[in-house]
Amino acid sequence: MSDTLLAIFSFAATIAFYYLSKAAYKRKKVLWLAPTVAAPFAMITLVIVADIPLDSYFQYTHFLVMMLGPATIAFALPIYQQRAIIARYPLTLTLGVITGLILGLMSSWVLVRLFPMPDEVASSMLARSVSTPFAMQATVKFGGIPDLTAMLVVMTGIFGMLAGEPLFKAIGVRSSHAKGSALGAASHGSGTAKAFEIGHEEGVIASLTMIFTGIAMVLGAPVFSYIL
Amino acid sequence: MTNKLKGLMAGTLQLIAICLLLWLCNQAVLWFGLPIPGSVIGLAILLVLLFGGVIPEKAVKAGAAWLIGELVLFFLPPIVSLIKYQVFIFEDGFSIIATIVVGTLMVLAGTAWVVDRIYRYERRLNQKRLIKGTTNV
Repeated sequence: MSDTLLAIFSFAATIAFYYLSKAAYKRKKVLWLAPTVAAPFAMITLVIVADIPLDSYFQYTHFLVMMLGPATIAFALPIYQQRAIIARYPLTLTLGVITGLILGLMSSWVLVRLFPMPDEVASSMLARSVSTPFAMQATVKFGGIPDLTAMLVVMTGIFGMLAGEPLFKAIGVRSSHAKGSALGAASHGSGTAKAFEIGHEEGVIASLTMIFTGIAMVLGAPVFSYIL
Repeated sequence: MTNKLKGLMAGTLQLIAICLLLWLCNQAVLWFGLPIPGSVIGLAILLVLLFGGVIPEKAVKAGAAWLIGELVLFFLPPIVSLIKYQVFIFEDGFSIIATIVVGTLMVLAGTAWVVDRIYRYERRLNQKRLIKGTTNV
């Protein structure tokens, strides 16, 4: 196959794997079918087995990545739609965002020193607790690699989604706000999806916390990178 | 069917408008050397437009909802580029997973603990306000 054909094939396969896993996950809520798990796994396998050069893979799929910018702007919509909750619980939301952001940064900063890893990975770890479009922007300021950060963000999301409920039970957290804030602040998109499974209010709180934590991470990154 | 087609066209137009807004913001970032990414400036501008009543919610709803709904699709390619970093993942897999597991547990537990307390306080505050409001009437 020529490189252009490979590029078109890669683009089509990425979209196909995404929609297939999305449809499958909708029917059966098991982790290995989730679009953040099944789609990248299938795509990576295909790229390796078919020996597709990464340059060909990215030739057209990078247009998908370019949509992360418009998607960031789109987050204005849920903020506007949920303005009543924001007006009712400004303190809860603000403190949830601040706590989540500080804990995310500090825990990464300490842990990468306890568990040795190359500098590029350690720097990419700092922004991992916020949503991908924000994390890929902020990570540059910390000296991280956007692609690597995206991977760490996804891993964080998956783990947080699985650990959330058992942890809340273990430490006796019952309020919907606490669950929503924690899931949104610790594991962004995946956490928010999980929060919506627990309840509508949890989901709304999680999505707002996720968006505000992401914005705060991007805005604060120059300052945080100076301090850390 | 025509309604569906109309919706699709409206959504596409909104999508183009959002992309255009991003492009303008990115230009502004370049010209003025702003330290904030264009996408976050665009988010702020859209919020101002919505809250200021300049544009109604339905003028961006379909396009914005689509973008948020398909967010995962947009970051699949960066994950595939991980093939480049195989070495890290195999050699430092334990450190990476340990950092993510312990770090995420800390964020989950810490945020939940703080918010649990603040939420109860703020709920009481809201109830007091509510009672005050009704007795004043």
